[in-house]
Amino acid sequence: MTRKTAGPLRRAVRLRSTKIALVILGAVAVLGFLGGTLAPSDPLAQDTSNLLAGPSGAHWLGTDYLGRDVLSRLMDATGRSVVGAVEAVTVAFLLGVPAGLGSVVFGRVFEWVAQRLVDAVMTLPYIIFAIAVTGIIGNGRDQAMLAIGVLLAPLFFRVTRAAALAFTRAQYVEVAELLGASRGWIIRTHIWSKVLPTVAVTTAQLSAAALLAVSSLSFLGIGVKPPAPTWGGMLSSDLGFLAQQPWAPAIPALAIMLTAGSLNAIADAIRDTTGIAVDPIGRGATRPDAVPALPGAPAVAVPEQEERIHA
Amino acid sequence: MGRRGFLGLGVLAGSSLLLAACGDDSGSVSSAGKEGGTLRWGWSTVTSWDPVTSSAGWDVHALSLAYAALTKLDEKGNPVPALAESWKYNADGTQVAFTLRDGLTFSDGTPLNATAVKKSLERGKSFPGSLVAAQLATVKSVAADDDARTVTIELAATDYQIPSLLAGKTGMIVSPTAFEKDAKGLATKPVGAGPFRLTEYVPNQSAKLVRFPEYWDKANIHLDAFELYPAPEAATAVPALQSGRLDVAQIPGSQVEAAKAAGLEVQVIPSLVTTVLDVNITVKPFDNPKVVQAFKHALDRKALADTQTFGLGVVNYQPFPPGYVGHDPSLDNAFPYDPAKAKKLLAEAGFPDGVEVPLTTTGVSSALAEQVQAQLAKVGVKLTIETIPAAQATQIMYIQHSRALATDGFAGRDSAVQAFQVLFGEQGLMNPGRQTPPELTAALQKVRETPLDDPSYPTVLRAATKIAVEKMPNIFLFTTPRVLARKKSVSELGSFLAVQRFEGVRVG
Repeated sequence: MTRKTAGPLRRAVRLRSTKIALVILGAVAVLGFLGGTLAPSDPLAQDTSNLLAGPSGAHWLGTDYLGRDVLSRLMDATGRSVVGAVEAVTVAFLLGVPAGLGSVVFGRVFEWVAQRLVDAVMTLPYIIFAIAVTGIIGNGRDQAMLAIGVLLAPLFFRVTRAAALAFTRAQYVEVAELLGASRGWIIRTHIWSKVLPTVAVTTAQLSAAALLAVSSLSFLGIGVKPPAPTWGGMLSSDLGFLAQQPWAPAIPALAIMLTAGSLNAIADAIRDTTGIAVDPIGRGATRPDAVPALPGAPAVAVPEQEERIHA
Repeated sequence: MGRRGFLGLGVLAGSSLLLAACGDDSGSVSSAGKEGGTLRWGWSTVTSWDPVTSSAGWDVHALSLAYAALTKLDEKGNPVPALAESWKYNADGTQVAFTLRDGLTFSDGTPLNATAVKKSLERGKSFPGSLVAAQLATVKSVAADDDARTVTIELAATDYQIPSLLAGKTGMIVSPTAFEKDAKGLATKPVGAGPFRLTEYVPNQSAKLVRFPEYWDKANIHLDAFELYPAPEAATAVPALQSGRLDVAQIPGSQVEAAKAAGLEVQVIPSLVTTVLDVNITVKPFDNPKVVQAFKHALDRKALADTQTFGLGVVNYQPFPPGYVGHDPSLDNAFPYDPAKAKKLLAEAGFPDGVEVPLTTTGVSSALAEQVQAQLAKVGVKLTIETIPAAQATQIMYIQHSRALATDGFAGRDSAVQAFQVLFGEQGLMNPGRQTPPELTAALQKVRETPLDDPSYPTVLRAATKIAVEKMPNIFLFTTPRVLARKKSVSELGSFLAVQRFEGVRVG
């Protein structure tokens, strides 16, 4: 991170919503790595004499349909649920961001091909595509997340491209080109650091979206290997026992909600703070009209994305 | 506060009046014998509406709405007349002649005469892809005499099971006009002579049927129309009945209390449905009989039945439930839960440090697989659970037979011998190893040769059960009754062991 973006990011961190979100995400991260170890009891240990019990001293959140401790399962599920989201976002990032930058600097043919590919991928519905992919290459989390990652990539592509477009016409970039600087050097030195805040916002928002996708898929039994707990899987199995434990689905749902909500809060904070403080490139830009697109881009992209996740 | 209390009282009084009114209403309905109405059943849709290619035992319930068979089973499981008004075996049981009722027709108007029955039965035997052909293996030829209304079946060997067998899918008579014109179309457009006629079908969603006025037993069909839906999810079963989306639904054991609390009638009907693990003895480590034996002893069936069925299921080591003629009481504790013995058997089989086995499961819930996994872990078996989509289960498990171990449910069959064929036969859907020991084949032969009303029939059938349970790898766990919840406006349902039929049922 360069000095220019450190300022607004620091301002973002100072917001109260960001602080709360960071605490929650910190807890999620700790549980993600150590959840199984920290759990008060074995998340897989069954006790069939104590099925669907309510909260008690021994089981703070009660037990599930096989008498397993819900709190331990919730903690153990954290890593599995979050890693899935990270996988999908990583895939999307690696596919979308370089292609997005490339579409701006590597000439018309690359641009045209990349744009058409992205248009095509954006027409596919997330969950259904992921189910189809797991049907063909195997019902595993990695397969499902690969599919989700591929479908999220266009959002990275579009956002990165929109952000980068504004800078490629900047005078100092044109000067660098005239002086014979390579495209790679220009991207590294002049463009990347300015695109980064936008990409950071998108990453946070897509992480939340990917977490919801992971949870939706595991709710449907995709990418889950029983008996390993996942948040979506717990939510799904709890629904079968509403008559006994009407409150049970709220527990994994809350975990999903808080994590996704924290990621969105951080994304909002970065966007708000960087949006104001973005380097006023308008002075030297040949296309000043492109400036407002920078903070606006993720805001436009994301609602569309969320609609699709719920489809 | 007082005012609120008063209002509350008012609501209470109002609702009790309402309840009383409902009670009166349903009482008057059943006594007055109201005709007509539509019954919406949340049960299951079908793999195919063609009885010859339907690949799931469950289908028989839905198919019996659209098709009538030559015979049907009474509440005890004995064959009684249906399309055939009587039948008669020859002296040595190698020929059986069915006499059809007079004036039968199919729902497409084709006359249901002896020739039609002959064509339909022959199709079951010869249609490529027929899944009932194995059951008709003993049928040598079928002769029809339209004037005398008789269908004479020549058998290759003595077989007294034919009337039972023909109560199910095997004996459902399909209109020859329909299958001669478009055999494949039957999968979505059934043409039979059942109590109802299919008018609209959306695969995996719904089937709508209307009363077929020419049905032979029309006097006992009081419903104008019938709608079939997949069984609702556990969480939505009771609300679906309360809201009126369904009138009758199959519900899991976990919902019984909720259904009763919601004021629904819950009927627990004894059934043949038995939960079982299918074992493929051609796949390691099950090629070693000691491993299979070890698995049979490693499972705590009581804990499985109590947990999975909320106490409704009964531990069972055999394919027939207690009280059914084929149930051998001497097998009631055939493989007692004994982890130490299981461990010893595994060690003798060459797996002293345990063994890894994949367990295939299907459907929404993996609870059974998870519990089996935990129980087997105690004897050193490491099960990895593989979940396959329900839509692929038939193909993977029943046609490819590619899985070593799978959770499964046996729906029961109309004839005991047919049950044996499905579970243990070389073509049996639930015998992935495709091998049958000769002594079982011999014992089954003896069952076929014994008339159902012969005093020795129970003994002979139980002997076959014993051999099957001891020699075959199928691991029977527990038998679960059929739990049907219904709205109060629906009259009591018949208690049928095999096919749930709707004779005499009224809806208010």
